[in-house]
Amino acid sequence: MGSLDGIITGFQTAFSLEAILFVILGVFVGTIIGMLPGLGPISAIAVMIPMTFGMEPATALIMMAGVYYGAIFGGSTSSILLNAPGVSGAVATSFDGYPMAQQGKAGKALAIAAIASFTGGTVSVVLLMLLAPALSSVAVSFGPAAYFALMLLGLTAIASLSEGSTIKALISAVAGFMVVTIGIDAQTGTQRYTFGNMNLLEGLDFLVIALGLFAIAEVCSLVLSRKDKSIGDTHNIGSLKLDKKDLKDMSGPMTRHSFLGFILGVLPGAGATIASFISYIFEKRLSKNPEEFGKGSVKGLAAPETANNAATSGAFVPLLSLGIPGSGTTAVMLGAFLVLGVQPGPMLMTDRPEIFWGVIASMYIGNIFLLIINLPLIPYFAKILKIPRPLLISLVIVFSMIGVYAISFNTFDLYMLLLFGVIGFLMRLFSFPAPPFILAFILGGMLEQSLRQALTISNGSLSIFLDDKIALSLLFLALLSFVFPLVKQLRKNKDKATEA
Amino acid sequence: MLKTMNQKVSLVLVAIGALYLFGAFRIPSYPYAIVDADVLPKTLGVLLIVLSIFLFFAKDSETEEQKKRRDIPKKEIGMLLGVAGLILAYILLLEVIGFVLTTALFIFFCSFFLGYRNHVASGITAVVFPLVLYFMFTELLSITLPSGVLPF
Amino acid sequence: MKKFLLPAALGLSMMLAACGSDDGASETANAGDGGEFTPSESIEIVAPAGAGGGWDTTARMAAKVLQEEEIIDGKIGVTNKEGGGGAVGWSYIANYEGNPHKLFVTSPPMIFIPLNGQSEYDHEDFTPIANVIADYAAFAVREDAKWQDLNELFEDMKKDPTSVTVVGTSSPGSMDHMQFVQIAKAAGVDITKIKYVSAQDAGGMTQLLNGSVDVYSTGVAETVEQVKAGKVRVLGVTSEERLEGEVLEDFPTAKEQGIDETFINWRGFFGPADMEPAAIEYYEEKFKELSDSEAFGEIREQFGWNEMYLDSEEYKTFLDEQREEIQTLLDELGLAK
Repeated sequence: MGSLDGIITGFQTAFSLEAILFVILGVFVGTIIGMLPGLGPISAIAVMIPMTFGMEPATALIMMAGVYYGAIFGGSTSSILLNAPGVSGAVATSFDGYPMAQQGKAGKALAIAAIASFTGGTVSVVLLMLLAPALSSVAVSFGPAAYFALMLLGLTAIASLSEGSTIKALISAVAGFMVVTIGIDAQTGTQRYTFGNMNLLEGLDFLVIALGLFAIAEVCSLVLSRKDKSIGDTHNIGSLKLDKKDLKDMSGPMTRHSFLGFILGVLPGAGATIASFISYIFEKRLSKNPEEFGKGSVKGLAAPETANNAATSGAFVPLLSLGIPGSGTTAVMLGAFLVLGVQPGPMLMTDRPEIFWGVIASMYIGNIFLLIINLPLIPYFAKILKIPRPLLISLVIVFSMIGVYAISFNTFDLYMLLLFGVIGFLMRLFSFPAPPFILAFILGGMLEQSLRQALTISNGSLSIFLDDKIALSLLFLALLSFVFPLVKQLRKNKDKATEA
Repeated sequence: MLKTMNQKVSLVLVAIGALYLFGAFRIPSYPYAIVDADVLPKTLGVLLIVLSIFLFFAKDSETEEQKKRRDIPKKEIGMLLGVAGLILAYILLLEVIGFVLTTALFIFFCSFFLGYRNHVASGITAVVFPLVLYFMFTELLSITLPSGVLPF
Repeated sequence: MKKFLLPAALGLSMMLAACGSDDGASETANAGDGGEFTPSESIEIVAPAGAGGGWDTTARMAAKVLQEEEIIDGKIGVTNKEGGGGAVGWSYIANYEGNPHKLFVTSPPMIFIPLNGQSEYDHEDFTPIANVIADYAAFAVREDAKWQDLNELFEDMKKDPTSVTVVGTSSPGSMDHMQFVQIAKAAGVDITKIKYVSAQDAGGMTQLLNGSVDVYSTGVAETVEQVKAGKVRVLGVTSEERLEGEVLEDFPTAKEQGIDETFINWRGFFGPADMEPAAIEYYEEKFKELSDSEAFGEIREQFGWNEMYLDSEEYKTFLDEQREEIQTLLDELGLAK
């Protein structure tokens, strides 16, 4: 069967009444779960697996996929409103989304996030449909050397995440990198900085750090400012209105990051979180007004939201066409496929075209319904910010605590959350930016592991980085990305000198 | 001698770097590694110390607004410690008296502590919010949360 | 905030209604004094890992079948206790000495992790109740690799150990590494010279396919699709006899290639220490029933698991033997703590 026939079969499957009902159900549940603390797509899918047992496979998988991208779609809500990202892909969303909401424009921020998510989701599904078979070889083309180079490229962005002092940004990043070394080292099985505590063996979870540095630290600031009515004009808080300039500002990042996010999603191990960060940084670099970023920039919100949804579709490439799960979430998705008697992999497209193409085609419908479900709810969500400060603070704390507790069901992680909340607050007081910390935490682990994998494979020879073309080009880009801002800075200084 | 805030902070950071580095030298070695587990920690430790020294001599680049963040009245420090204390109590009690009770008590007392006096509103939130969450997690998603002393 | 919880609750209840809820089980079981044992409260099965992994899946599937087929008349809840590769969950169970309502699911890391010095509890601190599942290791190479069987691979590894890189998901001293070491040792390879890298998140298959590494040490099920697609070749599996199933039956065992060694990725249920004999007997019987049930057979097939039932006594002996074997290997590698 040619793939055109397959695509047609897929659309037939996806547009059956039953499939449409279940995709709506899936995205609805997903978007709610994405908003709730601690329930990321992983646990949502995992707990649903036993329930789908015995269902028609295509329908069940269409629903499960809906839960997955629905959760990423909904994950932005708590990030924007409470600075408390419920899923890791939504951390970068808070950088500009939360300031925007604090300026009394919560409705607008949520609307931008929804539209960007929808665009990222839809464009990437088109890409998925056109390129899935072709891209399967790209998905596995990255060896350890190339991953190392990719992570390095991401890290060169630290300087552009600083607010003022570059040295402080670098110190933040080194600290984030240090935290990631806690736990058992994968390459040797050696314990590092565990102090004999079994709770530290697997290292600290990303959400513990993110919720600590962002949500709990923000709670401290909110406690201090609880008496001022700082959410500027709450009058229009629920308004979804976007003016022409907003739409124009969004269009660039939405186009770019639909592609970039998708590609990064295709690479196993990169995923929505890394995609959202890289997009954010990329957009900031590109912007003529980088100083607006972090203060409620439309572009800074649209970029990561587009990218994380696009990456979610991208992650289906290795999953469906190779049977390789690129992340914890897709690993659980793989489990869902297996329970239903469907084995994702190179044969899926020919053996079960109705499932392969059906799941993909259903994502169009799913994304449209996500938009339809989310937009009308925005005014109600935005009103959350009208809850009196003391009560809101209590709720944000509880929200973060459940979020962390539901990962491991271990109170140790809650103490860590409090600790990182204190660290985050101190960092604020002394003007150390948190984003470089979290970026180094995300990229650091893979940077170290892939470097050491590469060197083990090559028996210690650095030539592995030169022989690998992908690695070499990425290293070159990393160098450019590192040098470029320096040159810009120098030229600026020179201009100043000549002017004087 | 320590005139600027940067200098004070950098000394603390050097101390952290030194402790971390001390830990790095105590990581046991693995016989077959080409790049062993201690290489990165040692690098990071040195890097932190070097960067902190740079910070020591760096010009103070903080804006007035950033500096103002540190002016916290004594009373407010008490508030922050109070909230931290309530969080600690929450963690300690969570697995003992259960999710619903702990969360309800926390929401009520934390709001009260922060000056919220509408007892009806906070009472209702304190009861409804944890109950709805508990019901969703345990009954609908079969994810067990600590039930504690309550019978369900 | 209440505002969005209501639709959430509604949505989830809709979903459950659509999928068929299974939460109607009653809690009416009675406690028996001495002789007969029946659960007097709801049973908790702990998966010492997060949602979605092998332990979690086993626990949830077993709980589902036990309740739906009415093998156990009462409520069974699955709890996740993640951390330390299992150590956090084990220390949680260790608090419930003698409690017959706390069970947990476990597998070979129960042997590896204590030996690697990462848990103060080992299998002797608990009551093995019944093993239910067996899985086996497979060693895969790319389709265009020069090795046709395990012996050719091991010959090359004897000649030039630095030329072959083995990849697995776990860190050295744990499962993917040790299953390869165990077979290689039996084939006469110097196991201290094996070059092993660990790659998380399914990175192992990626690295095998793109040629970064040479051999992927993994579970049998992970290889099937790639074999079907003609991308990889399985040089050997670690079962006693050939496996059954479409592609699986073509995988040669290490044994038939003259390497007299096997490795079983067993999975079963434990209880806390000092469980009363009546309770052990009760659960043995129930897990036997589970293992024999058609519903669980279907699940085994979907996940590519094999049946391996051991009762409490057999299980204990089996685990002691396993530990001794692994201990010897780790000693030789110098990794034992």
